[in-house]
Amino acid sequence: MLRLINYLLKQGVATAKNICPDLAEGVRGLPMLTDTPCQSGCSACVEMCPTEAISVFKIDDKNNVRLDLGSCIGCGYCVDVCPTGTIQNNPTTRVAVRTREELILTTAGASAEAANKEIVLQGRTSSKIPKADSLDKAHWFSRSVAARVVSTGCSACDMELGAAGNPIFDIERFGVHIVASPRFADALIITGPVSKGMQEALVSCYGAMSSPRVVVALGTCAISGGVHKGGYAEANGVENILPVNVYIPGCPPHPWSIIHGMLLAMGKEHLAPGPKK
Amino acid sequence: MKLERQQISFQQLQEKLNHALAKTPNKTSDTRVGLLTSITGGEIATLMLSPTDGTAELMVTALENNKFPSLSTRHAQFHWFERALFDFFGIVPEGHPRFKHLLLHDQYPQDFFPLRKIALPDDFKNHLARRYEYLEVKGEGVYELPVGPIHAGVIEPGHFRFSCFGETIVNLEIRLGWVHRGVEKRLTEVPWQKAHFVAEAAASDTALANAFAHAIAIESILDIAVTERAEYLRTIALEIERLAVHIIDVGGIGTDIGLLGVSSAMGRLRGKALGLADLLSGSRFLRGFIFPGGVRPVSERKLSEIKAGVIALKKDLTPVIQILSDNQMATERMKDIGKLSKSLAHEFGMVGIIGKACGLECDTRQQFKQGKYPELAPQAVIESGGDILARTAVRIGEIWSSLDTIEKLVDACPHGEEKVAVPDKLPANATGLGIVEATRGELIHLIFTDEEGKICRYAIKDPSFDNWTAISIAIRDNLIADFPLCNKSMALSYSGNDL
Repeated sequence: MLRLINYLLKQGVATAKNICPDLAEGVRGLPMLTDTPCQSGCSACVEMCPTEAISVFKIDDKNNVRLDLGSCIGCGYCVDVCPTGTIQNNPTTRVAVRTREELILTTAGASAEAANKEIVLQGRTSSKIPKADSLDKAHWFSRSVAARVVSTGCSACDMELGAAGNPIFDIERFGVHIVASPRFADALIITGPVSKGMQEALVSCYGAMSSPRVVVALGTCAISGGVHKGGYAEANGVENILPVNVYIPGCPPHPWSIIHGMLLAMGKEHLAPGPKK
Repeated sequence: MKLERQQISFQQLQEKLNHALAKTPNKTSDTRVGLLTSITGGEIATLMLSPTDGTAELMVTALENNKFPSLSTRHAQFHWFERALFDFFGIVPEGHPRFKHLLLHDQYPQDFFPLRKIALPDDFKNHLARRYEYLEVKGEGVYELPVGPIHAGVIEPGHFRFSCFGETIVNLEIRLGWVHRGVEKRLTEVPWQKAHFVAEAAASDTALANAFAHAIAIESILDIAVTERAEYLRTIALEIERLAVHIIDVGGIGTDIGLLGVSSAMGRLRGKALGLADLLSGSRFLRGFIFPGGVRPVSERKLSEIKAGVIALKKDLTPVIQILSDNQMATERMKDIGKLSKSLAHEFGMVGIIGKACGLECDTRQQFKQGKYPELAPQAVIESGGDILARTAVRIGEIWSSLDTIEKLVDACPHGEEKVAVPDKLPANATGLGIVEATRGELIHLIFTDEEGKICRYAIKDPSFDNWTAISIAIRDNLIADFPLCNKSMALSYSGNDL
């Protein structure tokens, strides 16, 4: 035991001081759209995309791109094939948002908003979901938040959440505690596409929590179903089962992105402000 | 490898199985069964593997009247395969000793068989209720302890039904399928060029191995060979994945024993292993690295950084693992707990860590072609104890052998192209097999194409599918408090099993 303590002391402090930094060069994040105009007649990215997250449409004869980060699995193939550089790799880890709309990027600006809304609604096919708890000020949990995790997918997001708890990222320093029961949880973090088998269990877990509750959809599967969307197992994401307060895109999201999302859930985004819109 | 579909009668199949699976646990290089499934619902397909010469055979047995006499009564290994056959195809294994649903739960309609392609017989009567009945242990003082599907920690869902007498576990029934997402069906729906993304989503920490097995299977159907450099890079990636998972699993043992310093150190060091994955592929989980035809480009500079990283990691890991191995308390906590005998492991067809810890020589890296293996395969780590200590020893042994292997492969990695051109179309009526030694053991991808060259059936066998039964067997007569540690020592995949 003394050897262990000695070893740990010698290791020093591993925790990163710089919160949610950009990814290192060469590491794939999510894609982003730039101001460079899209090449007319090109749809290379649409053909490459494994989850139909990208569409190309025309306004005034000009090619425009729409990119749904809620469906994107970050494979980076669109970035590789884009001839103009309209789609590029986004090195930021500050990718979490509070509304589904914010995940849909387009080069068409305000003129595409109606169509963007349409995509959001397409993902919400169930009318039976409970009403979201009122979280007006979102400062309920600004000191600490106890989070219950329900895993319903391949578990990559769970592992990154586990990694967010390791000494380097140390999510607990921000007041985020992972707890073992919904009874004393404020936040419900859901990973995976919530297929048929887990729907009932998830709803009862949510029901066992006391209000106000904040629901975090962690990862692309939880947001939209990802690669599983539309199959017989109804693995189409959390939004068809529970109201979602925070969306963390990525497949899986980087531990820093998870921390960013939890900061949003606590109303502490000033610690890691996202990119200016 | 490319396979022929050999048509044989059920009787011939039985004879073949009786011969191949004769009880000879000491002679381990026998033929064994990789998987048992169906293609359309009108037949059963049995994959037989010959580890000694690295070959495989696929036997297709047409069924009469949608049923066959259960093979599980004689060969225990089939008991889950046969339940899955009913779940997905509606094929009835008559006389199965514990016939119930395996992966599809109460929410699905009564006669829903998602992978069945042909009509059910007119007189088909489904007597099996969707509602799941657990095995009940009766007797004075016996009580039941239900755990899950949602667990206390951050792990995947599964239900464990313990029947206990005092502190002792009399029976453990495991019910899985909570995260069944329909991966096998989805793999037949997407264009095959994009299927590797779905294959990767089968199980997170086996993403690379799944993409690897997928690529081997597709390439064998297409009859193309990838470049030498791609073979090296794939093998390096496979070992990096193994390394990262083993590090966190050994750390997990530390957590469950109460050596939190070890687990926190291992958590940090796993980050370094994931950093190697980042360097190689741009993704911590090696996503999108392997695809049919090759791998993503890797620069020489990155390869040398990987080598430097491996050397540093070796140095960092040594004291932590030493502290765990030297700790008397830890050793006593693991010794003789969760013990599985070699004969049972053989009978139930256990693979991977669990098989190796029981003395079975089941490391497919030495048996089947995968990347630069078997030529450059490291020596298999085989233990004989069959308990938690032995399983942990296998993991630790594999950490060292993976580190050495990565170093060797990086040194020997030739220059050249990373990918080759791939045809647009798959040939008709072909069958491709990919076998990869994933972290947990033998991972099998078996792909069938139809007359039009479309993938009509995609079967995945995760090593966990073979191994889940091992927990039920190993934990019997142990204390309930030892279950978490025993479970951790096996660290099986829920999502890979449920698909």
